[in-house]
Amino acid sequence: MHTHPVEQAALAYLDAALGTPAARATARPVAHHPRPPGGVALRVEQVVKRYNGREVLHGIDLNAAPGEFVAIVGRSGCGKSTLLRLVAGLEATDGGAVTIDAADARPGRGGREDIRVMFQDARLLPWKRVLGNVALGLPRARRADAASVLAQVGLAERAGEWPARLSGGQRQRVALARALVHHPRLLLLDEPLGALDALTRIEMQALIEALWRRLGFTALLVTHDVSEAIALADRVVLIEDGRITLDQPVALARPRQRGSAAFAQLEAAVLDRVMRKGGSADFLTSQQLFELPALSPDPSPATSV
Amino acid sequence: MSNSKPKRWHANAGAVAPWIVPVLLIVTWQAASQLGWLSGRVLPAPLAVVEAAWTLAASGELWRHVWVSTWRAVVGLAVGGGLGLVLGLLTGTFRIAATLLDSTLQMVRNIPTLALIPLVILWFGIDETAKLFLVALGVFFPVYLNTYHGIRAVDPGLVEMARSYGLSGWRLYREVILPGALPSILVGVRFSLGLMWVILIVAETISAQSGIGYMTMNAREFLQTDVVLVGILLYALLGKLADVLSRALERFWLRWHPGYQAA
Repeated sequence: MHTHPVEQAALAYLDAALGTPAARATARPVAHHPRPPGGVALRVEQVVKRYNGREVLHGIDLNAAPGEFVAIVGRSGCGKSTLLRLVAGLEATDGGAVTIDAADARPGRGGREDIRVMFQDARLLPWKRVLGNVALGLPRARRADAASVLAQVGLAERAGEWPARLSGGQRQRVALARALVHHPRLLLLDEPLGALDALTRIEMQALIEALWRRLGFTALLVTHDVSEAIALADRVVLIEDGRITLDQPVALARPRQRGSAAFAQLEAAVLDRVMRKGGSADFLTSQQLFELPALSPDPSPATSV
Repeated sequence: MSNSKPKRWHANAGAVAPWIVPVLLIVTWQAASQLGWLSGRVLPAPLAVVEAAWTLAASGELWRHVWVSTWRAVVGLAVGGGLGLVLGLLTGTFRIAATLLDSTLQMVRNIPTLALIPLVILWFGIDETAKLFLVALGVFFPVYLNTYHGIRAVDPGLVEMARSYGLSGWRLYREVILPGALPSILVGVRFSLGLMWVILIVAETISAQSGIGYMTMNAREFLQTDVVLVGILLYALLGKLADVLSRALERFWLRWHPGYQAA
């Protein structure tokens, strides 16, 4: 039965408070101790998801090495966001397993401390000021961290503002700070830049890339923007109708030049593959992709931005 | 520079304009009474009403009645509103509670509170309990309904986000669910404040030994129309005061809300 999220939360809490010792142990707030930096190894094995009997993911296999940046592209409704929600533990799988650093990821009762999600709509709490939003879920002793992470995303001077007063790009930067303040080792990005204008989007991509390179977390980005995927990711994975149909390494040097020939060529090829949906051409096109010339270190400097 | 003058004139006109009609009415009324067009039995002159209010205030009788009425209003509001809030939170949070309670409460809600007066007098007589019961019952439903719907309308995305960021239990309730439901709850409180005075007036005019309603009914028996008018104006004043207070609460608690931020 479909339950209201408020009820779900309340029941989960009661379950943990009154339930088995095991449930109680997982419900206890995790002690905050310095965690080794870097990323986790993510392994998705034969994951199946059904909604009302309709299967939306058919046995997905996907691995990400520690610190790797993987982008998942696909048309809307292909199941890419569902996959991310399963990895995040926001929903339970109907088959297969999601393992993170060899530990089974159980659907979230409170969420794992080292996995953070950035949603498409920033989901800031409108009744908390910017700093309060970043410090959400932090113990009192670590509230000072919130201010320093806010400074890292360039919004230190807006700390006392209400979220309603911020632009879309600023809201997403606050959401990014809120995720990073927990030192996540796996950051899941669910089309976080989808609603932003083109210039802000490029700016945000640079920010995300810079922070990812500095902090070394594993990143999983869901996007419908092929250019964004190629600008950021080490690997681009295409999902079509609940199946992975392409797994394309992106061997361009960072920071990547959008105007370069290799970038444009790769983008065109992946986009072409995305648009040619269905049919028997699948294998042929992926074959062609792998035969693309000179994907490794960018030979030509940028001609334009 | 050149347009600052007409602008200031505009601002002044904006402040003065709402008062033009009431002042004109009172002046006309006073004139009509002094010229003998209006009998003092029907409608005493404004100055006579002021005089009556002054006499009542000086004797201390006015304050006694105002105090008793306010006390009844506040206690009734606290009991009824408090119960409405608790039950609304319960039914809003747990579907099982809603299934058990909601249809019963909706049935009771459709009974006009004032229709219960005969029964209430039989149960409690005409002392304080009867009036508190009526006020509490009347204010219960707006608070209950708006709390219930407020909880149900909390953005599911925010709850999901907060849970995945490690919030649960009381902390989730305090930081996400209650603030999300607060705009709706406050609408309920404002409705309640209006109803509170209506019910109290009726309850006090029917059966009481004190309070503003009693004062006006008593004055009616002695044909003291000026005192009746003092009572009516007092209700208007207290009602307005309650509204101003609740608006101030809204402005403070919802200061994050774009709709309540000063432009």
